[in-house]
Parts: sequence; structure tokens; C-alpha cells
Amino acid sequence: MKNIWVIFRKETLDSIRDTRSWMTGLFSAMFGPIMLGVLLVLLGSSTQDDLNNHLTLPVQGSEHAPGLIQFLTSQDVIIVPAPADFETAVKLGDVDVVLVIPEEFGGEFSSNKSATVQLVLDSSRQSTVIVVLRIQTLLEGYSSYIGKLRLIVRGVSPEVIEAIAIEEIDTATPQSQAMLLISMLPYFIIFVIFTGASPIIIDITAGERERKSLEPLLINPVPHKIFVVGKLLSAFPFSMASLALTLISFGMIFNIVPLEKFLGIQISLNVITLIEIFLLCLPVVFLASAIQMLVASFTRTTKEAGTYLPFIALIPSLPGLLLAFFSVKSNLWLMLIPTFGQQLLINQMMRQEPISILYIVVTVLATILVATIFTWLAILLYERENILFR
Amino acid sequence: MIKVEQLSKSFGKIRAVQDVSFSALDGQITGLLGPNGAGKSTTLRMIYTLLKPDSGVAYIDEIDISQFPIEARSRIGVLSDAQGVYDRLTTRENIRYFGQLQGMNDQDLENRMDELLIMLDMMSIADRRAKGFSTGERLKVAIARAIVHNPNNILLDEPTNGLDVKSTRTMREFIRKLRDDGKCIVLTSHIMQEVAALCDKIIIISNGAVAAQGTPDEILNKTRKDNLEDAFIEIIGSEEGLA
Repeated sequence: MKNIWVIFRKETLDSIRDTRSWMTGLFSAMFGPIMLGVLLVLLGSSTQDDLNNHLTLPVQGSEHAPGLIQFLTSQDVIIVPAPADFETAVKLGDVDVVLVIPEEFGGEFSSNKSATVQLVLDSSRQSTVIVVLRIQTLLEGYSSYIGKLRLIVRGVSPEVIEAIAIEEIDTATPQSQAMLLISMLPYFIIFVIFTGASPIIIDITAGERERKSLEPLLINPVPHKIFVVGKLLSAFPFSMASLALTLISFGMIFNIVPLEKFLGIQISLNVITLIEIFLLCLPVVFLASAIQMLVASFTRTTKEAGTYLPFIALIPSLPGLLLAFFSVKSNLWLMLIPTFGQQLLINQMMRQEPISILYIVVTVLATILVATIFTWLAILLYERENILFR
Repeated sequence: MIKVEQLSKSFGKIRAVQDVSFSALDGQITGLLGPNGAGKSTTLRMIYTLLKPDSGVAYIDEIDISQFPIEARSRIGVLSDAQGVYDRLTTRENIRYFGQLQGMNDQDLENRMDELLIMLDMMSIADRRAKGFSTGERLKVAIARAIVHNPNNILLDEPTNGLDVKSTRTMREFIRKLRDDGKCIVLTSHIMQEVAALCDKIIIISNGAVAAQGTPDEILNKTRKDNLEDAFIEIIGSEEGLA
């Protein structure tokens, strides 16, 4: 036990003095929250612009359809004259869409024919989709309104032409809509636990071998497994610091960015939730350090270790990426997958859903078990003589 | 005291060490001389337990190293070919780490460190971080941490390799001083001059096996030569890999 402490203390001191390594680790811990924050702000402000601003519609030939123009104006659309060369203007993106009302509109309209209007738009331009959709909805609304009036005038019920009436019942609350984006969050958290530990792990395994200090170290009268345990533990504080920093950053972003104003949602990432997530992720710190320790001990140089470890960090985060695209319901079997169980539970914690204690216990135990197996494999590796001579 | 009986070790098909036996007494410098690749370092590594012998036994102060490797390791100090020190730790921190791993208590460790810092003339670098140390300074740190626990047996793998003339002289004086303190010293070398100048007993190793052993006089008598260098070449059969 005393030797584990001696090794832990030396490795921690050594790593803390390696400022560049842990600064890199901590910086990558901030990267995720900042990126997500910027994304949310951009998404929030663009959605808000499109929904709240008055719609401005350039119209060519507004004098041909005073009724339509009046209808549009009553729907908060600001009618402006179209630019002279409106097709080029749309192509260049100067205006999103132009409504063209031909001269024949009035005649066709009075004689109960389908009166034609043209929408000039550029369908390859994603940013105009919402504007175009709103104009189309308004025009269809006007068309349907006039059509129904004409049927009523002829003594026919408007329901005759509505074979199917579609009512949309949207079950997505504003919070669950934004959650789609925020479901990236568990991915970042797990990823950061891995990247926080990796510079330290590389230095104490492959680095020790590269600097030719491993052989003198292992000649000391201490069982080799003690070195594995001591070194493994010394990666924990750095991994935990990265985890804490990421959680604090996420917490600050969700409290500073006015998500409620932007997206109409309130994210529950209060201090208690953050602490719960931190505690839930502690077994992942063990797992991330153990698997990286095992892989880095196989490598001969720090450069070689540096190419492998980022891939290790990606693998456990893949199920989390799936979570961002598919809705996965928690069940007991999924809790057996280390890192994936935690990601599902983090998601539930953020949604303030009730969480089964059994799930927490199962995911914690499964993660600790797998981490212990990796540690044991690393010990086997260190007890072989070719840890030094190969 | 170190006693080696019929140690053998193969790496794949290569038989690196075959039936090597010798003993090294306290208060003597025992030299393993042989060309590069003769199996000297492999023999030493088996004695300090980082390589397991395929067959044979070795005793350190009558402790069987295969059965009690940890006890055996606490009775030896090793300056191996790998002499990396921790760049971000100071000289004291480097030495203290190994002293603690040797299980020394704090007071003994601090006293012993001061003793070593004076003995090796390294007080001026005691609290400097090792980054930027010269080869000679690094070597001193490596020696100090190897013998911080004041072991009875000291193993040195090519101790003067890569040192300049001044450092080589200092190293030789230091080895003699340890011998005069009654330590059992085993060193390897491919330099005939060095072995001739330092050793009380010489084990000549060639192709993984002991070709001859004895005091310098015994070796001269056996080969009927009047200087050791000619005797070595006679026994090994070639000058290749020697210096």
C-alpha cells in the first residue's frame, strides 16, 4: 500500500510539472461545451429570426391581385416591390423569394378558373426553406379559403372536397426538441474522460520506456503489479479534472446562454444534476485509464501510443453518437455496456426523468468489472520480461 | 556475495547464455569480460531478476533469486545500461523516489542522500531539475539512486561506456572505494584495459559460455603470456568486439 502511494505521488508530481501535457488535456475538455454552446446560440438565433420577424415579400405585379395582397398584409406580411431583375436577385441570394402575379390573374380569378401565380425561389438554398414554406402555406391558405367560399356560394359543403382532414398533434415538447441537439452532451462527457487521461498515461508507460528509466525502476524490490496500480491511479486526478471542467463548462453554458428565450426550453443542468453525472462517471475514469494503460504499455514509443489512444477514445463514444440520431430506450441489458449505460443515464438525468437505482448499480458494476479485467491484463503484461527487452 | 550456477538463457533459437557459473566475493571486484553480444548483459539481467533463467540458479547473499526475487532485489544496487533519470524531478527527488521504493524510512533516507551528494560531489545540483544535466551529472544521479539503500552487492553494466577520461577516472575510483568498503561488485566490460586495471577476479565470456576465470595472475599463468591483453585474445580466439 505504501509503495502504491509512493508511486502515485511521484507520477502525479511528475505529470503536474509537465504543464504542456495536461493543459492540452484540459483545453480539449473545454472544446466540446464551447462548440455545443455556439451551435445552440446559432440555431436559436436563426430559428427565432425566422419565426418572430415580420415576413417581407417582394411582389411583382401586386396591382393585379388586391384581394390576395390584402390577405397577405393581414397575415403580417410586408409587401415590397420586387427588384427589376428579380431572377438574378434570387440567384444571388439578395432576396429569398419573389412572388410574381401575372396580368391575367384578375381575369382568371373572376372567371372562376385556377389563377396562376409564380414563386421564384432557389431550392438549393437551405436558409430560405422556412421563408418559402411560410409563403406557400399562406398562398395555399388563401387558395383554400377562396375555394371554400365559392363552394358555399353554390350551396355545397366545403367538407366535400376535404376527403381527409389532417390534424397534427405534435408530442415533442420544446424541451425534447432541443434535447435532440443536447443529446450530443453524453458523447462529449465520455470522450473527455478518455482524452483527459491519455497524455498522462502515454507519459508514464511508453514515455518511461522511451526515457530508459523503466528498467532501473523495475529493479526496485517492489512487485511489478504495484507499479501498474500506482501508475494507473496517478492518471485518475487528471481524467477527473477534465470531467469536472467539462461538466462545469456545460453547466455554465446552459445557464448563461438564454436557451429559454432562444428555443423556448429550460435545460435542467443544475449543480445537483452535475454532481450526479460526475459521480456516475467515476467508474468510467477507471475504465478509460485502464484500457489506455493496457494499450500504451504495448507500444514502444510515445509517438506510437499517441496514434493509438485517440481511437480508443472514439470507440466507447460511438454508441453515444447513435443516441444522438436514434431514440434509444433504456433497458437493463444496455446498462451492461460500459460507457453506453452511463450515456443513457446522463440523458435521463438531464431530462429530469426518474432513474432506476438498479440501472445505476448494474452500469457501475459492469464498468468496474471490465476496467478490472483491463487492469489485470496490464499487470500480466508488466510481469512478463519482454515488457523491457523486445 | 553472488553465486551463479549453470545459468542458461535462450531467445528463440539464439542461445545467449549457456551454463555460466562463477562466484563473486565480498570486498572484491569481479569483471565479466567479453566481446559485444557475448552474453554479459543477459547474465547480469538474470542476476537482477528482470530475466528469468531457462535453467540454473543464482544466489545473492545465499538467497535464491528465483524463489525470492523481491528479497534478492533489495540486496543489490544496479547501474544498468538504461540510466534514464526523471527530467522533471530534482536530483534529490530522483534519489528519494528509489529510496522510498527500497522501503527506507524518511530519516535514514535523508541522511543517506546527504552522504551520497557529498560522496559524489553533486551538492551543487541537488535541488535542480535533471532536465539539462550533462552526461556526467546524469550518471551521478543514476549511481546515487542505485545504491541509495546501501546494498551489499553492486552490479554495473558497462559502467564507463560513453564517459570522457575525467568521468572514467572518477568512476573507477568510486568503484574501488565501494570495494574497499567491503561490497561485492560485479561489472561487465568489453574493454580489456578496464578489466585489467580494476578487477580482482576476471570471468571471460565468449559466445555465451565461460571461457576462463580466475585472478589476473591465474589467467597469465594459464595462457603463459606476459600481459593480460594477449592472454584475453588467446582465450577468446579473436580481437573482434573487444577494446
